[in-house]
Amino acid sequence: MKRDVIVAVSFLLAFLFIAYAVTVENVLGLGGTELRPLGEFYLSHSFAHEGLTSHSPEVVTAIVWNYRGFDTLFETFVFFLAIMGAFSVLRLTSEQEKIVKELEASEPHRHMDLITRAITKLVVVMIVAISASIALHGHLTPGGGFQGGSAMAVASLLLFAVFSKFTIERKGLTVKHTVSAYALGLALILATVLAPVFLYGGKVLEINLLPGEMGLFNLDVGEYLAVTFGFLTVFLVLGVSEWIFKTVLRGEVDD
Amino acid sequence: MIDFLLAYITLTLFGMVFLGIYGVVTRSNLIKKIIMLNVLGDAVNMLFILIGYRLVFPVFPPIYEEHLSFEEFLSRAVDPVPQALVLTAIVIGMAMNILLTTYAIQFYRLHGTVDARDIAEIMGGENE
Repeated sequence: MKRDVIVAVSFLLAFLFIAYAVTVENVLGLGGTELRPLGEFYLSHSFAHEGLTSHSPEVVTAIVWNYRGFDTLFETFVFFLAIMGAFSVLRLTSEQEKIVKELEASEPHRHMDLITRAITKLVVVMIVAISASIALHGHLTPGGGFQGGSAMAVASLLLFAVFSKFTIERKGLTVKHTVSAYALGLALILATVLAPVFLYGGKVLEINLLPGEMGLFNLDVGEYLAVTFGFLTVFLVLGVSEWIFKTVLRGEVDD
Repeated sequence: MIDFLLAYITLTLFGMVFLGIYGVVTRSNLIKKIIMLNVLGDAVNMLFILIGYRLVFPVFPPIYEEHLSFEEFLSRAVDPVPQALVLTAIVIGMAMNILLTTYAIQFYRLHGTVDARDIAEIMGGENE
């Protein structure tokens, strides 16, 4: 009890101290009208100057893929590791997959009513169009591969909620397909990153050597594919019904 | 007025940061812990975006357009660096979320609880 009081008081004191420093002393430099020199450098060098530019009027994308390209590359790697970590935690052996398939086939085919299904079909088409536009214009407008992919993940979540995992898998979209598409997106990113080395004798990630806006465009499309199908993979694996999963796990225990 | 608003928003964000830390420390339900971690991360991201903002009117997004003169663009555009950093932070946060929720779900399936005290008991640790 006494420890709780000490913790609460120290929290309050720290909060008051930081609040004083930020609002009265303005240590963060909030509310100025001047740009910081670093921001000014990026704003003035990303498009307006000839030579070493990233061919993108969108300065944030230019920073993300050109000035801090390695950072973004490793961020994609971290995302890949997280997806694969989730995938391996929820993994099933091929025998267990077979049991899951049988149990899912025996499950009565439930679905939501007609209005929900019809509206969802419409909305999903719209979300797919918008996410594609976010991703494909990522080098010209706010947005990019990750944002488009996240929007697309929302569409797949909607499909999961209204139809079911079973319906989607019966239409032909299984984990194998999503993992393959994920690998395809990553391969596109890798090819774009390595293309300057083999085609123009440059260095890794020197995408301004590629003609026009091709480098940024390819990276955005690759990231879009990777994020969309990475999420779909996790959703498909998570989408196994609770009782089916428990039955399978119990079978494992009994053996 | 604008100074007051800025100070108000900043204080609110710092309040959210402390609320997030408090929630992560005190809640024992793993899902609540993850939610509070998200509150914490979002507050920090918002604070970052706020640092890059400039008090000029009208303020432009950092996208160069043809009809703008370059000096005008430089004098009106917001700082792009915090936005790029937050973009990275959001992706990492998302990856962290996927992993944490997956572990929580799998633990619930295997042991039927997401309470940190029960988990400590199941794992054979000390339970205060």
